[in-house]
Amino acid sequence: MDYRKIIDLLFHKGQVIGFKDMEVFIQRDKSLNLKVFKKEIDNFSISDEGGLSFRGIYKGKMGYSYTEKIDMDSVDLLINEAIENSKVIDSEDEEYIFEGSKEYKTINNFNEDLEKIEVEDKIDFLKNLEKYALELDSRVDAVNYCSYGQEETYSLLVNTKGLDLENKSNIAYSYISVVVKENEDIKTSYKYIVSNDFSEFDYKKLSKEAVNEALSLLEAKSIKSNEYPVVIRNSTFANILKAFSPIFNGENVEKGLSLLKDKINKKIADMKITIVDDPFYKDGIATSFDGEGVATKYKKIIENGVLKTYLHNLKSAKKAKVMSTGNAYKGSYKGTVSIAPTNMYIENGDKSLDEILKTMDKGLMIIDVQGLHSGLNTVSGDFSLAAKAYLIEKGKIKRPINGITISGNFFEVLKNIEEIGNDLSFAMPSMGYVGSPSIKVKRLSIAGE
Amino acid sequence: MLKQSIIEDVLYSALSTGGDFAEVFVEDKFNTALNMVGGKIENGISGRDYGVGIRIFYGTNSIYAYTNDSSKENLIKVAKKAAMVVGAIKKDITINLMKDSINNIHFIQQYPLDIQKSKKVELMKKAYYSAKNYDNIISQVRVRYMDEDQRVLIANSEGLFVQDRRVRTRTAINAVASRKGEMQSGHCAPGAHMGFEFYEKINIEDYAKEAARIAKTMVNASYCPSGKMPVVIDNGFGGVIFHEACGHGLEATSVAKGTSVFAGKIGQKIASDVVTAIDDGTILNAWGSQNIDDEGTKMRKNVLIENGILKGYMIDQLNGIKMGMKSTGSGRRQSYKYAPTSRMTNTYIQNGKSTFKEIIQGTEYGLYAKKMGGGSVNPATGDFNFAVMEGYMIRNGKICEPVRGATLIGSGSETLNKIDMVGNNLAYGQGMCGSSSGSIPVNVGQPVIRVEAMTVGGRKEE
Repeated sequence: MDYRKIIDLLFHKGQVIGFKDMEVFIQRDKSLNLKVFKKEIDNFSISDEGGLSFRGIYKGKMGYSYTEKIDMDSVDLLINEAIENSKVIDSEDEEYIFEGSKEYKTINNFNEDLEKIEVEDKIDFLKNLEKYALELDSRVDAVNYCSYGQEETYSLLVNTKGLDLENKSNIAYSYISVVVKENEDIKTSYKYIVSNDFSEFDYKKLSKEAVNEALSLLEAKSIKSNEYPVVIRNSTFANILKAFSPIFNGENVEKGLSLLKDKINKKIADMKITIVDDPFYKDGIATSFDGEGVATKYKKIIENGVLKTYLHNLKSAKKAKVMSTGNAYKGSYKGTVSIAPTNMYIENGDKSLDEILKTMDKGLMIIDVQGLHSGLNTVSGDFSLAAKAYLIEKGKIKRPINGITISGNFFEVLKNIEEIGNDLSFAMPSMGYVGSPSIKVKRLSIAGE
Repeated sequence: MLKQSIIEDVLYSALSTGGDFAEVFVEDKFNTALNMVGGKIENGISGRDYGVGIRIFYGTNSIYAYTNDSSKENLIKVAKKAAMVVGAIKKDITINLMKDSINNIHFIQQYPLDIQKSKKVELMKKAYYSAKNYDNIISQVRVRYMDEDQRVLIANSEGLFVQDRRVRTRTAINAVASRKGEMQSGHCAPGAHMGFEFYEKINIEDYAKEAARIAKTMVNASYCPSGKMPVVIDNGFGGVIFHEACGHGLEATSVAKGTSVFAGKIGQKIASDVVTAIDDGTILNAWGSQNIDDEGTKMRKNVLIENGILKGYMIDQLNGIKMGMKSTGSGRRQSYKYAPTSRMTNTYIQNGKSTFKEIIQGTEYGLYAKKMGGGSVNPATGDFNFAVMEGYMIRNGKICEPVRGATLIGSGSETLNKIDMVGNNLAYGQGMCGSSSGSIPVNVGQPVIRVEAMTVGGRKEE
């Protein structure tokens, strides 16, 4: 399909009917997903698909529409739906089509080698991953997830103000979850890797980490409900930070949905905390332009505990009378434009995880939390999450703990951070890539027995 | 949607390398979503999802491929690419597609595409003002409206050729209450397998007020105490406890692999005597209902647990082969981008004999979870967690002060055995359930129940 022909026709017809400015965003994904279970290929999925989204300013309002059927017949549907959608908008917020930034830095997130690796090699990797995990210890009962996924994304952003940008990137990931069993005691643990360099996919390392962790959780017991000092391990804190990232969203601030309103240049976190949003981070996944075509850029969100900026797209920036921070987010051609971080992370401190544990006389190390989609409130900052942990006594791991929840308020946690590790690690990417080192918090409520 | 002759060719291509079974799933879906913040429509988007999924079985393995280029050449190319994975010798298979019309039981009166967008906006404004004007403490209200009109065509090498049309509509209201730099929110999101007539059957303003009431109650609540205690979970969305604690573990997806705690336990007692649980995809116009599942099997009412005894699982075709059992009409998927697997539809605990009053009065101390939020479960261990959106302490058989920030955790098999009272006021709530075949609409439901002891994750010592 010749995208350019459709775009030309859309812009032509749109102009005739009365659109002022118009924009087309096209995304095309090719993906491969594999799962192995008991030496067999349990899932083999391939795809090549995409869609086109159209938006335009009609009588001063922005109307959106999209289609996955990209053909000449869809042009009228796209235009009519966008007009209908623009008509119902009564928000006075001005929305624009952007003419382009002065400069776009190059970010290369496309690794050609990844596409050249045979599917057989990827299947072998998974079979080895499963086999190795099962052989590591007689208590490994099953490998209940053993998957590999790979995605190649092409996006094109073209508008009537002269913007014409395209991007191609690819990413691969592998995820393993193991079930270990001793008598009637069953425990699971998972590990993942995200990279577009297949040589980094080390099945021995991945399966060993998952198995060792699952085994370490056997005979876990609950603990007496109380407040304890806690260390939250890097990727777990990254997941919590990611879940709370809407607090930095300029649109939420403006709409009274973030408690960070009016907090710019105020201290909102312990001074050891610096959070950056860095599209150029070496192993990141960001692109050189955002969902509106604005060049992405490096910024500090929190610097030594002081809030420096919110994340903005064009619309929220204009309302706040600042420049867009290049954080417009268009997750797919189906969505309207929102806001998300690029590669956002808490900067490393100088202690290793072991050194941090040594600062703890009695406390917990949280290694995993569940319920992030339901057990926290980004508006109030409150959270209450099921957790897996180790009991730490005199700086050493004493025993595993399960059947507990950790509860607190994220805004209070930011102020009560005592130590920051040097082990930055990232959560699985989706609506931004978020990372954190291990973090020690003065105390959190633990509910157990 | 796609010519029968093209589908036949695609199925033959898919089986050209020795596969046992092939299936084509065609989806054409119109979506509308409108967002309102502060009483004003912020944005609206509508569009068309369109694509084709091709699935091949060989033995107990499967391959899935999808695309949204539905030209004959491309579909055959994709089918052959998928078939290459099988790599065996072609079997002698004849495909005779038999066009079958389904028995439609979920009648739609007002198709969303025929309704003016302004009418949808009017509905949202009604919801907005009901919530906003509920109390001065309500500082912000968000309303999200969505509807979808999905047509599917499912054909397979055994001759199946059926089409179905599913129409769903839902409105989500989120109210925020602010007090002294603190914010709490309340949420209500009614939905149904219906057209716009849904809003004649319910009063959206009641739901909006309910969202505002929860926000107001919670901003004035103190933190929930933590520890083990009896928990009374109210009817409706409270059914999410069964969904997480047990439902996912009864899906063939994990049962077939033997990685569910409920695998191999048919006929055994897995819950207390007062528990009877059902998954019923045939409830008229319910949020989780369909005429047929996404493999073309007629949906039905499946008894999962009867008086505490495990009676059956929810099974899709592929896992059915692995388990040597028949599909229970439970094969579902979010869209053509997902291979189907066994999923829940409308899952609920059946009415028992106790009354709400008896249950509260019979509880000396504990937590009354009036409104539940979402949750999740690890099917291998049965460990679940879910959030309480609106809670109260029970003292001496009376509902006392409101509490917030509670999460309930436990293990499914343990909790099922600790349900000691089941009420008689069955009601449903609507949710989106995420799993390996995507995010799908499901009803959860139950009458009020009591769990004699559960770990409550709060923030306060008591």
